[in-house]
Amino acid sequence: MNWIWFHKLGSPKWFFQWANKWSKFAFVIGLVMLVVGIAWGLGFAPADYQQGNSFRIIYIHVPSAILAQSCYLGLGVAGLVSLVWRMKMAPVFIKAVAPLGAVMAVIALISGAIWGKPTWGAWWVWDARLTSVLILFLLYMGVIAIQNSLDDMQLADKAVAVISVVGLINLPIIKYSVEWWNTLHQPATFTITAKPAMPMEMWLPLLLSTLGMYGFIAAIAMWRMQTEVLVREHRSNWVKKEILDNGI
Amino acid sequence: MTYSSFFYSEILAIFRRKQDAVNALVFFLLVITLFPLGVSPSKEFLQPAAGGIIWCAVALAVLMSVEGMFKEDYNDGSLEQLVVSGLYLPVLVLLKLAVHWFAIMLPLLVLTPILSQMLFINWEILWVLILTLILGSPALFLIGTIGAALTVSLRRGAVLMLLIILPFYLPVIIFSTGAIAAAQVGQPYNGQLAILGAISLMTLTLSPIMAAVSIKASVN
Amino acid sequence: MAFESINEFISMGTHGPYVWSVYGISLILLLGSYFASVKAKKNQIKRLKQRYLREQKS
Repeated sequence: MNWIWFHKLGSPKWFFQWANKWSKFAFVIGLVMLVVGIAWGLGFAPADYQQGNSFRIIYIHVPSAILAQSCYLGLGVAGLVSLVWRMKMAPVFIKAVAPLGAVMAVIALISGAIWGKPTWGAWWVWDARLTSVLILFLLYMGVIAIQNSLDDMQLADKAVAVISVVGLINLPIIKYSVEWWNTLHQPATFTITAKPAMPMEMWLPLLLSTLGMYGFIAAIAMWRMQTEVLVREHRSNWVKKEILDNGI
Repeated sequence: MTYSSFFYSEILAIFRRKQDAVNALVFFLLVITLFPLGVSPSKEFLQPAAGGIIWCAVALAVLMSVEGMFKEDYNDGSLEQLVVSGLYLPVLVLLKLAVHWFAIMLPLLVLTPILSQMLFINWEILWVLILTLILGSPALFLIGTIGAALTVSLRRGAVLMLLIILPFYLPVIIFSTGAIAAAQVGQPYNGQLAILGAISLMTLTLSPIMAAVSIKASVN
Repeated sequence: MAFESINEFISMGTHGPYVWSVYGISLILLLGSYFASVKAKKNQIKRLKQRYLREQKS
């Protein structure tokens, strides 16, 4: 396999120009898919025979929950890359993506809580999924907190990399322990997505909105990373040229 | 400096600063006292909740004591000496941790039977509680070290460290209180103990290296 | 279309308030992150541009 693209991604200059090209593309495609998926799910998918129309919350709940987990996976991998290969872009990625992951976790939490009211009759239930998203949110807040409180940039980069890697290794353990704890304590309730197989008309819009959310968040992440590159590389000539030639 | 001279100096340092260990113990006692006062002193509440109360208190006390572990060394420059000493830093971290573990956990384990009476824990359950403490607390210390090493250069690192480390304590707390709860209803609890041991072993391999990376970053 | 009329679509059976509040909050949060990120990038470019122009003059 050809790894040149991977090495190129490590170069801020190459990344900046690559993101210039692809971020708008990802944004447009992602936004269209997200809007189509959600509109389809809200207006055209059949109502759930058990939960009625409240299940339509799934079209924002599941994409954001998946994104929250994917972003953390990304943080962990970037942390590993940053510690092992000291690639310049890895800490930039962590800094740019951590707040987005936190926002995704917040959306998943709020939508889960509001969904819980008509489904379980309570705003919050200590369900395994909700609890692990809550913990995920706390992990994100830890990464953001340490990023913001260390003034020395190199130390901050190292610190968030360490915490992300530790988090990546611990995430499966936390998830497993929460699930185990949940089966121990949970009184008999049916879970949000208990049905074995979703019919195609429900599942397709979910897939669309999830993919759309990926594109949307990827585009925003690229812009945030570009901003961070501009902050860090402001002394280099290519940034100067880029800004004076193609700036606003 | 050799590994053994470092080890002896650490033991000496712990004895010179007895107050740190005493503080952790008093903190542990205080947190436990909060529950009967804050929720209910009745046996019906305390007996099933005792395992959770003790474990939460232990987790917080361990975090409090681990937080200051590198502070003194950082301030007087000896942490830098350790980094440039040519010795393998993760091993030094591990030695330091072992000394701390004994200094905090031994008095705590001695105190536990007394406390368990105050929280209405039966003698059979006490045995399980002590087993979970022995198997699970190394993980608390090991994970906490990473946070202590990361925040050592900060003047007010304690809250930050609590924030980033406490989520990682959840599996340990879940499985140890799970073992105690299982023992209380007469179910087998070996599985939970095995998982606790596994978590401690896993953090034993990972966290000294991570702590060493963080120390190097903090010192420079 | 799963609904007969616009009114039915808005009321979502009895679950309208739940569904629409979720989508409203999500929309606000997503738009917020979008605008914040775009604005941060624009501000950074503007700041750097001013700085480079000042450096060129001197």
